[in-house]
Amino acid sequence: MRPGDRLISTDLSFIPPGASLDAYRNVLGKTGFLSWLWNSLVITCATSLVGVSLASTAAYAFSRFRFPGSKLGLLLLLGTQMIPASMLLLPLFLMIVRLGLINTYLGMIIAYSVSSLPFSIWLLKGYYDTIPRSLEEAALVDGTTRFGAFYRIVLPLSTPALAIAFLFNFTTAWNEYLVARVVLSDSRMYTWTLGLFELQGQYLTQWGMFAAGSLLVTIPVLCIFLYTSKWLVSGLTLGGVKG
Amino acid sequence: MASVTLRGIQKSYETAAVLRGIDLEVAEREFMVLVGPSGCGKSTLLRMIAGLEETTEGEVVIGGRAVNALPPREREIAMVFQDYALYPHMNVADNMSFGLRLRGLPAAEISSRVLDAAAILHLEPLLERMPRQLSGGQRQRVAIGRAIVRKPQVFLFDEPLSNLDAKLREEMRVEIAKLHQRIDATVIYVTHDQVEAMTLATRIAVMSGGRIQQVGSPAEVFSKPANMFVAGFIGSPTMNFIEGQLTAEGSFTSPVVSMKFPGNHGRPGAAVLGVRPDDIEAVDSGAPGSFAAELEVAELLGHRKNLYLKSGGAKLLAVVEAAFNGAPGSTVGLRFRQDRLHLFAAADGRRIA
Repeated sequence: MRPGDRLISTDLSFIPPGASLDAYRNVLGKTGFLSWLWNSLVITCATSLVGVSLASTAAYAFSRFRFPGSKLGLLLLLGTQMIPASMLLLPLFLMIVRLGLINTYLGMIIAYSVSSLPFSIWLLKGYYDTIPRSLEEAALVDGTTRFGAFYRIVLPLSTPALAIAFLFNFTTAWNEYLVARVVLSDSRMYTWTLGLFELQGQYLTQWGMFAAGSLLVTIPVLCIFLYTSKWLVSGLTLGGVKG
Repeated sequence: MASVTLRGIQKSYETAAVLRGIDLEVAEREFMVLVGPSGCGKSTLLRMIAGLEETTEGEVVIGGRAVNALPPREREIAMVFQDYALYPHMNVADNMSFGLRLRGLPAAEISSRVLDAAAILHLEPLLERMPRQLSGGQRQRVAIGRAIVRKPQVFLFDEPLSNLDAKLREEMRVEIAKLHQRIDATVIYVTHDQVEAMTLATRIAVMSGGRIQQVGSPAEVFSKPANMFVAGFIGSPTMNFIEGQLTAEGSFTSPVVSMKFPGNHGRPGAAVLGVRPDDIEAVDSGAPGSFAAELEVAELLGHRKNLYLKSGGAKLLAVVEAAFNGAPGSTVGLRFRQDRLHLFAAADGRRIA
């Protein structure tokens, strides 16, 4: 809220002299901030949804079925996490170019959701492993299909883990900069991370707008976190089986 | 209600054979108990009937229909699991109606069936509770209720009482017996507890090592065990075995006792005499037909007394009247009840007489 010409003042008063909401007004009105925010929101939400639905089904297969390569597959997933992200930028860029997905939402969504899949799969698999199999068997006998048992029994019981996976997907995608820098070059498609960076000029950085923007982008994450936290209750499976 | 037929069922995991050829007929409305020590394959067999486990070899027939290729939901069975397997995120009423809702029954029909089952099992006050708010016995009743409302062709019970404490287990055992009389259903019940087997069953199938050792009514299995395994497994306390020799004329000799088994049994050689602790009488030493044994320990159980004895190098357990008086170390006269003796071939354990 401090006016731009008093940035290096050492005055520590909580509301500085000449305080105004100009920075907020400027960042919202004079830049593409709202469209950056919209881009980020679309990409992040889609990423989280795609990532969690892919991870939840893949993790179920890893947790419940033994198939050729199931152990190797899990190890490979873990292995991909050991490669530094920056090393993957070039191959990622080439792939996205070949697919013609540069400057598209789809390209970003694929890049993001795939990169957080391994973590989500491991997380969910670990959680599924703690759900007694007899619950699904009871459901099978009661009349569900395999998928029905997963959908009606396992998924509702996994809400804490699903919420965590969703949050993880959301925050990483929301805050991501590097991949976005590589995939997006059209400033209309920028996510807020790229957009805010644009505010840093070579000779002048609009610190007021920068700070105001930074504050504004935390709001969606905060909302999501507060919303999902109600699902983060442990002990959902308590009482179903003897234990 | 349907009958269940198993033909030549085999199951193996990679190299390990779990079931080695099971043939069994379960008639309509019969209460068939599969009993055996842990690892004998009884639970695996039940899960194969349910369709939760694939058969390596053989055929499962329910109500005249081969069901090998059918998934559990198409077999018209209901199962009660050892760990209850209640759906933790649904209340009691929803747990019970889950299968009915899946089948798309009308709401009125569902609620009347749930209320009926709740009345039978005394669950009415609990319908709104969540499984975690129930005690072990209540959870088990809900699990049974969930099976009843489905009105299945066959009920499968997989050691349903083994997680309950002793007193509750007895109560539930009686409840299940009443339930069977009331709903008149075909039941296949797996347990390792031979008391449950004896009290509940119309017929018992005793299993061991992946095979059925004997099928028969509780009385048959108890009084005419087909082999030494069945003789030792059924009955509590366990039957005494005395090793000896059998001649072709039917006289059995051992360091403990010698006696005649009239008739030609055709299988002379090493033999084992089996006698249940309840079929040994304590008599004055020197009484006709008796032999001497040294009393090691006497346990008073209230109405009966357990005598641990030693005779001719063999250890024996006798259950006698509580009034019996004898100090440890003293000599006691024992007599077997001649009409309740069992004779087995030592080589393969089969019953001779």
